[in-house]
Amino acid sequence: MAVDLQMPILIVDDYKTMLRIIRNLLKQLGFDNVDEATDGEQALTRLKAKPYGLIISDWNMEPMTGYELLKQVRADDGLKGTPFIMITAESKTENVIAAKQAGVNNYIVKPFNAETLKTKMRAVLGDF
Amino acid sequence: MFGDDINDQIAVLVDHLRKRGAPGPNLVEVASVTEVLIATMQAYFRSIDTSIYREFRELSDYIAKARGEIASLRPSDLQRDRLPRAGKELEAIVRSTEEATNKIMAAAEAVMAADPAADDFRTLVSDRCMEIFEACSFQDITGQRISKVVETLTYIEERVGRLKDALGSELQDGPPDEDRRKGDEVLLNGPALEGEGIAQDEVDKLMGDGEAPAGPAKSRPAPAPAPTPGDKVSQADIDALFE
Repeated sequence: MAVDLQMPILIVDDYKTMLRIIRNLLKQLGFDNVDEATDGEQALTRLKAKPYGLIISDWNMEPMTGYELLKQVRADDGLKGTPFIMITAESKTENVIAAKQAGVNNYIVKPFNAETLKTKMRAVLGDF
Repeated sequence: MFGDDINDQIAVLVDHLRKRGAPGPNLVEVASVTEVLIATMQAYFRSIDTSIYREFRELSDYIAKARGEIASLRPSDLQRDRLPRAGKELEAIVRSTEEATNKIMAAAEAVMAADPAADDFRTLVSDRCMEIFEACSFQDITGQRISKVVETLTYIEERVGRLKDALGSELQDGPPDEDRRKGDEVLLNGPALEGEGIAQDEVDKLMGDGEAPAGPAKSRPAPAPAPTPGDKVSQADIDALFE
C-alpha cells in the first residue's frame, strides 16, 4: 500500500534548530503535514489529541525523554501501533538495544543526512 | 638505655628501704626517691615534647606549602572572573551557532520556496547565498571563544597539578564518584566522542535493517532480558535479541 504523504507526522526534539532541520528534510521527502513537540510530555498530549502516522523523536529531553515517550506510547492501547523512529546522539550499544526492546521501529544516530532519514522511513513505512 | 638506668636506681632505693626494716623512710630517703622520680618524669616528658614538636613542625610546613599552592591557584580569581567568564563564552558559542544555523536555514528555505521561473530568482539566490556566507563568519569568533575556554581549563589543570605535587606522594586518589543516576537515566550519555559509541551501520545491524517491520510495531520481538548499562554485549547476545 502506498504511503500517504499527507499523513500527520509528529517530530519531537528540545532543540528548535533540529526540529526545523527535520521538518525541512521531511518537506523535501514530500511530507508536509508535520507537528512539533519539544519533549515527551508535550508529545504525549499531541498524540492523544490526534492520530499520527509516524513519530520521530530525540532521546535526551526534559522532563520526559524520548525513551520514556516510546515506552508510554507502546504501553498505550490507542497509540502502540504508531511507528516510532528515534533520532539521537545516544550511540551506545546498550541504548540501541534498550530502544529496540522498548519497541522502536528504527534508530538514527546524529549527525545524520537526508538519505539516512529517507532509508529508515522507507524501512518503517514502506516505499514512498 | 636511659630508662633502664632510672629503673635500676629506683629498684636499688626500694631494696634499701625494704632491707632497713624501719617503720618509715626518713626525709633524706624520701627526697632521694622523689629526685629519682622527677628525673624519670622529666626525661619522659622531654622525649614526648621533642617528638610532638617535630611532628607539629612538619605539619606546619606542610600546611604552609599547601596554602602557598592554593594561593597560587588563585581560587578567588577563578571563582570571581575566570570560571564565570568561561561559562559566558560557552553560552555565547551556543547562541551564535544557533543564530548562524537559523540564518543559514532561513536563507536556504527562501531559495527552496522561490519560483525558478520568476524574474528576480537569480538575484534572490545571490542575495541569500551572501547571507549564508555572512552567517558562516560565526566560525571565526566561535574559534576564538573556544580558545579562551581552553585557556582557562589549562590554567586550572596546571595549578591543580602543582598543588598535587606540593601535597606529595602520600596524597591518594579518593574513590571514584558514585554514579547517582537512577533507572533510565543511566542510558543518558550524550554525544559520543570519536572512537566512542557505534556508527549508523552498526546500529542498523542491531536493528536488523532489512528485516525491520514495515509499519507499526506489530512484528516487534519479544523483550529479551534487559542489558546492564556498561556491560559489553556479545554478538551472540545481540543475535538472540533479534531471533
